[in-house]
Formats: sequence, C-alpha cells, structure tokens
Amino acid sequence: MPSRDVDQNPRRPLADRLPPWVNAFSGGCWVIAIVGLISGVTVLAQQQRREDALQLWVFADIHRKLYTPIIEDWNAAVSDSNAEPVNQTMLGQEPLRRRMLAGFFGGLPTADLIEVERTMAGQLFAGPVEAVGLIDLTERMKAEGLLDEVPSASLTPWTTRDHVFGLPHDVHPVLLGVRMDLVEQAGLSLDGVETWDDFAEALRPLMADEDGDGEPDRYLLAFWPNESARDKIEMLLLQNGTGLFDADGQPVIASEPNARTLAMMVSWCVGPNRIAADVRDFEATGNQLKTQGYAVAFFMPDWMCNVWKNELPNMAGKLELMPLPTAQTGGRRTSVWGGTMLGIPKTTTDFDAAWDFAKHLYFSPELARELYRSGDIVTPIRRFWDDPVFETPDPYYRDQRKGLVYIDAIDEVPERHASPYAQTAIYRVADAATALLRYAQSEGVYEQEDLVDEAMRLLEYAEQQVRRPMETNLFLRDAEPAS
Amino acid sequence: MKTSAHIHRRERRAAWALVAPFAIVTAVFIFYPLYRSIVLAFSQTFGPGATEPAGWLNFRMTLTDPLFWVALRNTALFTLGSLFIQLPLALILASFLNRPDLRGRTVYRLVMFMPQLVGLVFAAMIGGVFFAKRVGAVNQILHATIGLDLDFPWLDQHVTISLILIALWLYVGFNMVYFLAALQTVDRSLVEAARIDGANPAQRFIHVVIPSIRPVLTFVVLLSFIGSMQLFELPYVMLNGAGTENRGLTVVMYLYQQAFVAGDLGMASAVGWLLGLALIAAAALQMLVARKEAA
Amino acid sequence: MAAGAPKQRPGVIGAIWPHLILLPASLVMLLPIAWLVVSAFKSADDFFSSLFFPVDETGALALDRLTLDNFRRLFDDVGIASAIANSFFLSCTLAIFASLACAAAGYALARLRFRGAAPLMVVTLALLVVPPPLLLAPTYELFHRLGLLDNYLAILLPGLAPAFGVFLFRQATIQSVPRELLEAARIDGMGEIGIFANIALPLLRPMVGAFAMITFLMMWNNFIVPQVLLHSPEKMPLAVAVANMKGVYYQDYGMQMAATLLSVAPVLVLFLMLQRDFVSGLASGAVKG
Repeated sequence: MPSRDVDQNPRRPLADRLPPWVNAFSGGCWVIAIVGLISGVTVLAQQQRREDALQLWVFADIHRKLYTPIIEDWNAAVSDSNAEPVNQTMLGQEPLRRRMLAGFFGGLPTADLIEVERTMAGQLFAGPVEAVGLIDLTERMKAEGLLDEVPSASLTPWTTRDHVFGLPHDVHPVLLGVRMDLVEQAGLSLDGVETWDDFAEALRPLMADEDGDGEPDRYLLAFWPNESARDKIEMLLLQNGTGLFDADGQPVIASEPNARTLAMMVSWCVGPNRIAADVRDFEATGNQLKTQGYAVAFFMPDWMCNVWKNELPNMAGKLELMPLPTAQTGGRRTSVWGGTMLGIPKTTTDFDAAWDFAKHLYFSPELARELYRSGDIVTPIRRFWDDPVFETPDPYYRDQRKGLVYIDAIDEVPERHASPYAQTAIYRVADAATALLRYAQSEGVYEQEDLVDEAMRLLEYAEQQVRRPMETNLFLRDAEPAS
Repeated sequence: MKTSAHIHRRERRAAWALVAPFAIVTAVFIFYPLYRSIVLAFSQTFGPGATEPAGWLNFRMTLTDPLFWVALRNTALFTLGSLFIQLPLALILASFLNRPDLRGRTVYRLVMFMPQLVGLVFAAMIGGVFFAKRVGAVNQILHATIGLDLDFPWLDQHVTISLILIALWLYVGFNMVYFLAALQTVDRSLVEAARIDGANPAQRFIHVVIPSIRPVLTFVVLLSFIGSMQLFELPYVMLNGAGTENRGLTVVMYLYQQAFVAGDLGMASAVGWLLGLALIAAAALQMLVARKEAA
Repeated sequence: MAAGAPKQRPGVIGAIWPHLILLPASLVMLLPIAWLVVSAFKSADDFFSSLFFPVDETGALALDRLTLDNFRRLFDDVGIASAIANSFFLSCTLAIFASLACAAAGYALARLRFRGAAPLMVVTLALLVVPPPLLLAPTYELFHRLGLLDNYLAILLPGLAPAFGVFLFRQATIQSVPRELLEAARIDGMGEIGIFANIALPLLRPMVGAFAMITFLMMWNNFIVPQVLLHSPEKMPLAVAVANMKGVYYQDYGMQMAATLLSVAPVLVLFLMLQRDFVSGLASGAVKG
C-alpha cells in the first residue's frame, strides 16, 4: 500500500491521493450521487405543509381553470366571514379514482370535496348504502329544494337505492354535429331528417368517390365499434335501447331494443350501405381525419363542443348542431355522454363548510354562465336556462345559438342508473359490438334485421359476464339483512 | 491455526454485515408480501380495508373467467413473438457490430440503445400515433410501398403484432448490447481455427460462437421471457386499457385491473400466484434444458 | 466454404456491407425519436396538420412555425420542474444505494465463507423468477399498514437490493476479483469491510457503473410502482406525470412530446458517461448465467 502521508508528494494526481474505494465509482456514478443529493434537498424542501383549508379534488384541468377565479373570490371573502377557505388540487382521473377508493376502503385521508366522474361513481356504491364513503345528501337536497331544481337524469348516476350522493355538475345532452359547410357546398339539405335512414339518404351524395381511388372520399358518421367508442355505444343504447342497468341496479343488457340498436350500429359500418368510419375523438390521428373532412357528422355532447374548439381551432365555422337522428320515427332525439358530480366524503373535517362551498360552487349563476362561456357545458339548474348567455351565437358553430338547442334536448335526456358493475358492462358491451362487426364482415351480413339475432346472442353473453362477479360478491351479499 | 480461525470468524461476521441490507430488504419487502399474497389469494377484499375469507373462490373465478384466458393467450403470443423475432435480430445486429474492422461502433450502439432511454410511456404514446389507421405513418408508408389497406387495423385486430414491433424497437438495442458484450469475450483463436478448418461464416457462428456465448444466451432468453410475460405498461398506456375485444389485455393488466380498478386485492393475488407459478415452472424447465445441452 | 478459401476478404465490400444493414436499422430506430424532437416544438395546430415539419398552406416548409411554447407551458402551467426533481431524487438515490447493497451482497456470496451463503444463493436464484406484479397488491397493503403510502420510502425500500443485482454482482465478483488478492490483503491485516471497499469494489467498477445505469433507467422509466404507491400529484415522478398528461377530455400532444424530450435528455447524458462501464459490466455479469 502506498504511504498514507500524502504531503510527501503533493504533485501526485488527485485520484491517487484518494482512498481506493473512491476509484470504484466512475464519473457517471459520482454524477448520479451528486445529482441525487441536490435533488433530494430540493424535493425535501418542496414538501410543503397543507394549509388549513377545505380540500377540493378535481380530475380535469378545464374544471380547475373554471373554478380558480370562483375559489379566489371565495377565499378573499372568507376572511370577513366564518366560512372556510378552499384549496383546489388537480389529480388525474386514474390517480383520483385510486386515491379516493383507497381512502374510503383503507382509511386514508381524502379531501373535503371530491369531483367524481361518471365512470368512477359506480365503484363507490358496491357495498351497503351505509358503507358508501360519501355523505348521503338526499335529505339536505330535499330540505333545500335542490332536488327539484335539476332534471332527474342529472341525478341518477349519483343515486343508489334512492340515496343521492352528489351534486350534479351537468346534464350533457348529446346532439349531432354536422359539417354544414360540406352539406351546403354540395347543395344538400337536412330538412325533415328524423331517422338515421333519412340522414343517410339526404347526405349520401357526400360519399361520392371524386378522387377515383375506388372508395368514398368521406363517410357520413364518425363511429366505429371498438374500444375508443365504448361511450358512444352506451350512449346509443341509452337513446334507442334500454341502457345497461335498471333503477334497481340489475343488468338489462340483453334486451330486444338493445340488440336492435347494436345491429343498427354495426350495419352502419359494413356492406355497400356503409356510412361510418373510424374517426376518433381525443386522438391526434382522429383530429387529423377531422381536419381532412373524412367524416361529416359527429356525436357531440355539450362538452365536446369545447374539445373541438381547443383541439381543432382551424375547424371554426364548419359545424352546426342538430338533434340526434333516431332508429325509428318518434324516437328520442338526444342521449347522454359523460358526467360529473361533487361529493363530500365522510371524513370531511367540516361538513357544513363543505356543503356551503359545494352549493356556492355548483349553484352559482356565475359558474353556470362561465361553464357555458368557457366550457360550452349547459348547467343542470333549470332556473338558469333562460340566462342570455345561452342565446349568444357561437361563431365556431356558424353563429348558431347552440345553447338553446342543447337546453331543448335536456328534457329528453335518458336516465342512467348507477352500478358498481357499470364499467364492466360498458366494456363487455363494446366487446359484443366489435364481435358483431367481425361477424358481419366475415359472414357478409349487412342488414340490421339480419344482425339482430347474433346481436342478441352476443349481448346475452355480455350480460352473463357482468352477472358473474355480481353473484359472487360477498359484500353485496352482506348488504342483505344483517345477520 | 489460531490466526486462521480468527480470520474465519471475522470473515463470517463481515459476510453477514455485507449481506444484511439484501437479507433484510428481501425478508421484509419480498417475503412478507409473498406470504400476505398467499393469505390474500384466499380472501375476498374490497380495497385494503375490508377482507373476508373466500377459500378457493378467487382461483376458481380466475380460471373460469374467459378474460383471464384471453389475457394469457395475448401474453403468450407476445412472448413468443418477442423471443423468436427480437432476440435473433438482436444477435444478428450484435454480430455485425462485433466485426473488428467496423467503424462507428460506438455511434451505432448508442443509436440502437436510444429507444430504451426514451422509455415505455413514450413508446406507447408514439405507438398509438404511428400505427393509427389512415393517417398513421406505418399505414401510409405500407400503403405507398406495398399497397396495404390504409385502414389496416393495427391497433384493433392486430394489436399483438403492433406490440411486438414496438417492443422490438424498444428493447432490441438492450439485448444487442448484452450480446455484444458476450461476443467480445469469444475467443478469437477458436473462430480462426474453425475458419482454417473450412467452416463458412454461418457454420462458424452456429458451431463456435453460439456455444461460447450460451450462458449469456440462456440468461437473456430467461430475462426476456420473464419480462415479456409481465407485459403491461405498453398496451395499458397505448390503448388506455385493454383495447378492442381485449386484444391488448395481458395477464398483468388483468391483475392490475383486479387490484386497483376493482379494488379486489384477493383476486389480484390469485392471478399473481398463477402467473408466478407458471413463470417458475417455465424458468426451471429452461434451466434444465440448458443444463442438459451444456452437459 | 471449400478448403483453402482465401484469407479474410479485405477491401471495400467487406468494410461496407455491415453498414448496409446497420444504417437502415439505425434509421428505423431514430425515426420515431426524430419525430418526437420535431413534435415537441410544434404548435397544437401543426401537430395535427403535418406529419413531420410544419408546412404552410402552399405545402412549403414553415420552420418559423416551430415554437418553444410547449416547454414554456410545461414549466409554467404544469409545474414539470418538480416532477423532474422527483425523478432525479428517486432514480439517483436508488441507483447509488442499490448498487452498493447489491455489490456488498454479491461479493459476500461469491467470495466470503459463511454458513448462510448456500441457502442465500438459492433464495437469490429463486427470487429472479418471482414476477414483481405478484407483489404489487400485497406491497400496497403492507405500506398501507405501515402508513407509508404516498411516501418515497415506499418506492425506495423494496427496490434497495434486488436479487437481480445481487446475482449480477456475484457473477462479476467471480470473474474479476481473484481470491489470492483477498488472501494477501487478509494476511496484511486489512479488515474485511476494508477489503471489500478498497480492493473488491474498485475491481467491480464496470459492474457498479452498469448496474447504477440499469437501476437509474428502470426507476426513471418506472410507471406502475409510483402510480400505485404514490398519490399526491406533486410527488409524482416524470414518467407518471407524462402518462397522466394523456387527459380524459383533452390531449395536448405537443406538451407530451416536450415532456418526453425533457425526460430523455438526462438519461442520454448519463448513458454517454457510463456506456463503457455498461458494456463491460454486462459482459462480466452475464458469464455463467
């Protein structure tokens, strides 16, 4: 070993003067160590204490932005009153779902107010009513007359066994957005269109093959029965069929109207009369196809109007909204897609303060106006519907007063019933739709009537898949009369 | 003798001190969870808070769930694809890179390794964009060159192939570096001797190179096998779930959905044990075969 | 082929033809990455309207439309800086401690004589095939009980001494740490820990670099473990933050690409620094698999 007395030779390279173990780590390792140390310090310094305030969790950035000014005003005002300030946190949808469920079932702290998306709500209701992690708001809402202020379709997704667990954020009626610029260019008209058959007939000239590549230049409808269309499939079943669950939470998947609807959807996608194409929402590729004019009509709940404005600013002045065509005459001219509620967990530090803020947030005319102005979402609260904001022409939608069209549709919006198995059901039904499409393609069966039997068979299988875990759920069994 | 005994005692004590972190971490964070997972596998749970004993229910439910078999089929197909396409390709690339007269080896190695640095989440996102119908780069290129249908449903019906290709892009460089490291240890004089004996390049590769890197080969095959069977993040991010008709559903995604979407840790543990036992059996089989061949 | 084949065919063809394979392969590897880089600088409009570089209405290249906006919004609106710091903290800490713990255990198993060696080795080999997802649910439950959910310890502790690393270091020790050297040091009266740190560890240097690199990379790109065990958005590492940006009602591709680019840069630098260690380390670890 070299002598420890380093001073004897001060000109030796630094590496030799260090103990040998230092040499075991190459430069990269030392960089890792140093960066780790520095980031560790910043990370630990960052761990800020939560201030003393009501915690609000939201899952969408657009909500966060909408609420920020309202919360700022609220917090500015509370210093003079005895209300509590509010602290808003944006969590992604998955993190929020997991954190909420973990909190409810594992006793972890959650927030004082949580916004819950429609697809997460069902899981909250799997156990006995008393075991739901949110506070039952039914009596409060009844006492304050809030239940009558909103359409019942906005409450059913948050209701289990007649107990309401959340304030409704929206109704989300669905209309059909049509590329009116293309329709007019071709000298066509949608007057008198009521059914899907009318619709296809009126617009078929738009599907001409002018570039001569052997297939239509565009298709009439953005729809394809695959995993990206689960919501649309459920939406169409709610419009024309029986939906997925009845008011008692029992599956009603394999019903005749559902089978007919499923067969109709698939008939759009196959054969010589095909009118639909796979143009997806929220995806770069789908948006590119929209820009190229590959599809003429789109399913548009109110919030989707805003998605178009954000993602496709170059498509301004092209779309117009009309009531949904139906499967047969006299049918429902709208449906429902998406939805949000605001709930108060049982672990809240101060229910009354949370309730006051929840009402202030969801039942304020300012929010209703702002929700429409910057989110294109129509409030569920009836008395706000005659607000002038809904009459303003929207330049993106060819100066249509689209707010009024959505409000007109609200009374027809179908009710969706909550179930812990709603997610499973939606997935299995979408599987059935895809399977039916493959059946139609491989067997060469293109007509709705001829597809109904196979659709029924597939839906029966889907329903069986949904019932299976329901029947072995020990907790639901416990929910029946206590032993 | 006394010194020797002394040294031995010191050695024993030092050994335990050195393995202590590994032993403690393994005992607490591997063995305890393993034990708990057995208990959980025989319970029905709803989140970590509520637990009921359930006997063999979870295993029965899993094995009779058609979705589990779909997941297993998808995972097995993906694994076969990975093993039989990716590893040979990695080996071929490595043998090209191993030519002594090759210029730019470092650059090639870096380029091949780059996707690994970019990571899974991005690979999944870009996969969704590149393999899309009509406007996706893959279909556009294949349409222009070989006239493939612009609407070829990579992400619907053929999602397993897409996954294999994306995984190939992602991991081939990593395996290549492994093989390259092994190839560099191959005794040149053996290859030279074979050449003098008149073996052509392919023969030299099969009869001289492969046997001398067999240990590494076995190791990489085992790692790839285990890794492929645990495929999850790639389809999960790319398809936002299981995809059309659950064609992107894998065993681990099935497990994840049971545990963290349905909140049923019991079902998830049962699935985990089924997968674990299958992997252990397969690995043992592979080691046995490798040992036999080596002997 | 036939005996008496000419000596190594020298000349242009032999030198060029590997490149005929390697160059296209490299191109395929790089294409998505080039796309990533360009996309990170494109506005939302251009992202949808052009496949690669932005083009204007006439179809001509419009390079002036490239923008830094995505990055600005990442830092200002999304607060990506804390996610980057979190990722660095988790990855660096784990890389250093896991390398040390695995080197220590691997060395002890390979070179020190103690009664636990054989059973520990069996355990290590068995653990190699335990699928981590099997442990995901019970680990979640364990940390729930320990009250460590949403705590960095929940991520760091289980990853501190992976069997995989112990195995690699054991192999590397067998290959590159001669027993004689250790015996000599013992006779010189050096302590066992000192022998490990000052004699064995420097010899294992490539493996330390390689394993630190692997661990760093695995943690940096790890998505499922933090996604499950952490809850607070401000604690999330970059991989989760990027994946979560894939919103429900709105997708900002430019920003996602910019975030991905930000997450690639550090690992690229690290790989450049460690790549020699990486290759020779892997070589030493994989022998006698």
